[in-house]
Amino acid sequence: MTNALTIYRATESGRDVFLTLSPEGHATGYNGHVDLGTGIGIALTQIVAEELDLPLEAVTIHLGDTAHTPNQGPTIASETIQITAAPLRRAAAQARAWLVAQAARQCDAPEAEITTLDGACLWQDRRLPYDALLQNHAEALPLDEAAPVKDPASYRVVGRKAGRLDLPAKLRAEFDYIQDVRLPGMIHGHVIRPPYAGRDSGDFIGRSLIGYDATSVEGMPGYLGIHHEGDFLAVLAETAPQARAIAETLKVDWRLPPPLPDMESIADTLKAQPSTPRPLLASGDIDAGLAETAHRLDRRYVWPWHMHASIGPSCAVADWNGGTPLVWSGTQNPHMLRGDLAVLVDLPEEQIEIRRHQAAGCYGRNCADDVAGDALLLSRACGRPVRVQLTRAQESLWEPKGAAQLMEIRGGLDAAKDFHAYDFQSWYPSNRGPNLALLLTGRISPDPRPDTMGDRTAVPPYRIPHRRIVAHDMAPIVRAAWLRGVSALPNTFAHESYIDELAAEAGEDPVAFRLRHMDDPRQAELVRRTAEEAGWEEHDGPRLQREGRMAYGQGFAFATYVHGPFPGVAAAAAAWVVDVAVDTETGEVTLSRVFVGQDQGLVINPDGVRQQIHGNVIQTAGRVLTEEVSFDEISVTDQSFADYPLTTFPQLPEIRTLLVERPEDPPLGVGESAAVPAAAAIANAIFDATGVRMREAPFTPEKMRAALGQTETPATALPPPPRKPRLPLRTRLAAGAIGLMGLAGLGAASLPLHRAIAPVTPQIATTAEQLARGETLFALGNCSSCHTATGGLKNAGGKPVETPFGTVFSTNLTPDAETGLGRWSYAAFARAMRHGVSRDGRNLYPAFPYTSFAKMAEADLQALYAYIQSLEPIRAEVPAAQMQVPRPALAAWNALFHKVDTLSPDPAQDATWNRGRYLVETLGHCSACHTPRGTFGVEDQTRALSGAMIRDWFAPALAGPEAGARGWDVPTLTRYLKTGTAPGLSAASGPMAEVIEGTSQLPEGDLTAMATYLASLAEGSAAPVPEPVLPATPDRMHRIYESACASCHEPAFADLLTAAQIPLGRSPALRAPSPETAMTVIREGLSGPLGTELRDMPGFAADLPETDIAALARYLRARYAPDLPAWP
Amino acid sequence: MRPGKGRMREELRFTLNGTQVTCGGAAGLTLLDLLREELGLNGPKYGCGLAQCGACTVLVDGAPARSCILRAERVTGRSVTTLEGLADPDTGALSPTQQAFLEMEGAQCGYCLNGMVMSATALLRANADPSEAEIRSALRHNLCRCGAHLEIIASVRRAAELMREAGHA
Repeated sequence: MTNALTIYRATESGRDVFLTLSPEGHATGYNGHVDLGTGIGIALTQIVAEELDLPLEAVTIHLGDTAHTPNQGPTIASETIQITAAPLRRAAAQARAWLVAQAARQCDAPEAEITTLDGACLWQDRRLPYDALLQNHAEALPLDEAAPVKDPASYRVVGRKAGRLDLPAKLRAEFDYIQDVRLPGMIHGHVIRPPYAGRDSGDFIGRSLIGYDATSVEGMPGYLGIHHEGDFLAVLAETAPQARAIAETLKVDWRLPPPLPDMESIADTLKAQPSTPRPLLASGDIDAGLAETAHRLDRRYVWPWHMHASIGPSCAVADWNGGTPLVWSGTQNPHMLRGDLAVLVDLPEEQIEIRRHQAAGCYGRNCADDVAGDALLLSRACGRPVRVQLTRAQESLWEPKGAAQLMEIRGGLDAAKDFHAYDFQSWYPSNRGPNLALLLTGRISPDPRPDTMGDRTAVPPYRIPHRRIVAHDMAPIVRAAWLRGVSALPNTFAHESYIDELAAEAGEDPVAFRLRHMDDPRQAELVRRTAEEAGWEEHDGPRLQREGRMAYGQGFAFATYVHGPFPGVAAAAAAWVVDVAVDTETGEVTLSRVFVGQDQGLVINPDGVRQQIHGNVIQTAGRVLTEEVSFDEISVTDQSFADYPLTTFPQLPEIRTLLVERPEDPPLGVGESAAVPAAAAIANAIFDATGVRMREAPFTPEKMRAALGQTETPATALPPPPRKPRLPLRTRLAAGAIGLMGLAGLGAASLPLHRAIAPVTPQIATTAEQLARGETLFALGNCSSCHTATGGLKNAGGKPVETPFGTVFSTNLTPDAETGLGRWSYAAFARAMRHGVSRDGRNLYPAFPYTSFAKMAEADLQALYAYIQSLEPIRAEVPAAQMQVPRPALAAWNALFHKVDTLSPDPAQDATWNRGRYLVETLGHCSACHTPRGTFGVEDQTRALSGAMIRDWFAPALAGPEAGARGWDVPTLTRYLKTGTAPGLSAASGPMAEVIEGTSQLPEGDLTAMATYLASLAEGSAAPVPEPVLPATPDRMHRIYESACASCHEPAFADLLTAAQIPLGRSPALRAPSPETAMTVIREGLSGPLGTELRDMPGFAADLPETDIAALARYLRARYAPDLPAWP
Repeated sequence: MRPGKGRMREELRFTLNGTQVTCGGAAGLTLLDLLREELGLNGPKYGCGLAQCGACTVLVDGAPARSCILRAERVTGRSVTTLEGLADPDTGALSPTQQAFLEMEGAQCGYCLNGMVMSATALLRANADPSEAEIRSALRHNLCRCGAHLEIIASVRRAAELMREAGHA
């Protein structure tokens, strides 16, 4: 379709089009910025609709795509409305003037008499709709930068409510976020990042990949290939889950990266790194001024590294398209990304097209551009469209962080208590976050690159006779780039805390002190009006208001957010009045109310402005009170919201806003301004409440308690042993035989070995009834669980069973002649079951629970044998055991400890009880886990079923008072054995969940029998679940629990289908004598067998370091088993 | 929890937004992966994969579930409702909760919106007139990084109002 009117600006390479009008009178505006999730599109629509006098629905705004929109730089610094919308507004005004001129010609009327309304030109009683005026035109006009725009007094659309345009589709799930883009023929890449997570400078970058073993993944479903260039490594597969599984399985060798500098003390670290001082401003004579101060205050303020923490990890799709690539991206800066990609794949940038889709809100530079580079490299390599979706951990570890910052101030008051000297220096280790694909492939050098973004809002807005402002430019220590407020937020933390300190030193009200030093009437008016309308409570020192342990205070801070290269451009100005409550015992700081006054000139969309203020307050409150990135010796460690928690609904303050009306002034950016005063306002309020000055963010409960002079209780967690690769749970636990080592010395020579039983071809006469009985017994004995390898064929053995003395592999139970039981006679089978001796005469390791099976009735053994021989034979070799104990020693063990006798019924008990005892004590082999073992790993029958630690799993008591206290009775036990759960009481987990898979198949009568017997072993009455005890001193573990565990363990919905089924106070893992079980569960998670009522729990081994897992287990013990002693 | 090496599950049958579906695929796939990657849905979102953020929330037989940690096999024979299934299937009218989020602009970027709307739907089924404290508590495990929390709370209150109006009508 040809446009009737096009308004453009000529560039070196062609035309930047800002506005088009179709012959039907529909306007399309083009803006090179993007919607970062703020709904900016509606405000731009309002601007065009206003200048053109069009209804909102007759305007479309096109954002960000490189093929259509002008290059207006990255969407940063709150510039979209203030700066990049300016040509759009002029273009709309110019288009209106053109339409008026057409109408004037047609009516033969003077242009001054033509008005416009609702898509038409009006003159006297004539109405000329735009479409009529546009017919048969195809005009292209260069943008008239001086086209007269409307007088704001006549605005009908701007400044009024206008609903978001994107929400209907988002609410119907019909909106295509970048994560929702799917192309025909698209395949999936999954990147494997190097071990130097989050770092981007140093000669190891791009040079750390030693190699990978493709054979470790080549057979996996969906596998399509591996691609690497330098340290860029990724796998390709048909589906995203397949790609992820392959990436997580691929064996890769990396060089060990060099250590990071010590990140414990941010101030020391930043001071120790190379930096270049850049004087920004000097007025008066700072040295003389400092010497003249009567009240000298030298202060240091520290800001931590922060994450953007977008809710959706970054994603991109690329199609190499025969050398003219198309890239679908959630980028903040499509044109800049195009330039980076051109370097990456060595193409002219005009040959690359970026199609911009919305992503999750980014608030700055996250991994959106990196992942576009990943996808493009992979698409070039395979020639197909490739989608790359980062994981939460990849996004968290690798996103360029909001940089830490150090601000040092020397200054003070003169004798008249006026602000006299201010020597401000700021260290900001950040640059613009070079594209990761460029670095990993070695396309650009990984030399440290300083940048100059530490100078934002570096000058405080006060009259000070002697000033010196210096920014120390320095390269990032870990990847860093802009994050909402950039360096202005930390700089203002320092400026506005410092002036508060001066006011206190002067004994003057902080707002009055500021006003006394402000020259700009517009800024002063904002400060005054905000204080008035917020109900500012004047005070000339900290008021220390207390109610019991709670301290209450109010704080003020103000800033005009100045962005862009120094001296920069002013966006909206914002002032905060915040009321805080400080719990002086726990150290928790609560924001009860935040009042924000903001001067943004002309307001385009009032709801949009208020929403930006709310978002800035809530997000920045979290950054000030809780958020900080953690590091180990080598890299960033925070991988999820577990250790990087965000503000949640219960923590919200009341937020009130004052939008100062200035329709005559140009609109100013509001995307960040309300964030900038946050930290100082909160610190100032804490000072008013407690007299304590917080100069290092975040103001966590730990820091607050320390500042209040509270002594910390010693940390409970001891550093645990280093991690080692682990086998799945059940296989580790099945190894009941502990303590075999002592027997090794008995030697083989002194004891006879067993003879082999000749192989036969069994001829079995069996009945359906016998087979059914055998099948039930096979299920009860849970035979499949141990005799099926993970991912292997059922009952074909090969599952590794880890014991303290090595690893043994379960045998192939199927009747395969070569590798299974196909040539075993019944006699051989019965000998194995009763005596633990294999057909060939070798002793079996007592990981196989023959000590329990020995007591089985002959008829049951026969049924079991018949059933096993009826299975489908599977040929499967089983690896040889790797044990440190020689098999002959087992014969000694058997001779000493193993008695073979059958179980005779107890005449004092009824048949049900006796049946239950038989099932529990023979094939059920409950004692193998639940009975403690003594010397040489022998079950201690004096403490039968009284609960035991078996390796790192706790099997709770089934007998005695402990079992009674848990409240078991026949109905609950029956239900538990049938389904895995006894509501409110217990849910089977770990190896017991696999046992339930077997018991759930038992006939009702047998379940009742087992329950009857087990219930008879319990003594005493049920004890209530212990009341959880919240920690007196909340710490990092508390935050991890609340953000990683509570969603399932303290669910917000009673019927949440993915919640834990029993309260943690009932968890045997937390009532165990040692923390190993709890740690195992946290590390590996739980997987309830299908067909039971059991649920799953994700494992945190990849997400939390082992030290945190150990500490978290102890936190849970203290909170949910407070009646028991703390774990060491 | 990850798809095993080569193991395929049996055909999985369940009801998705009122329609019977049958699908194959790898054993151990999460419901989120099944819905997004195999069935092409957009409503449930991947945020963390660890039940921390709530962006993946769906309803299973009316009860909320975090689909990123729910094995797909577990919904066999059950009825799953996603954001796509909330609007009236005949008229296309938004559900009261969706309508309220539209009116009160209960989102900025909207990536968390799925979880907020699905959780709010579950809340309002259990409690037709929640207080602000109850809304905050019910949404306490749903994360929003943009800070649209106040608008989200207002949306839930408005949804309760719309449901009451519809009830009276």
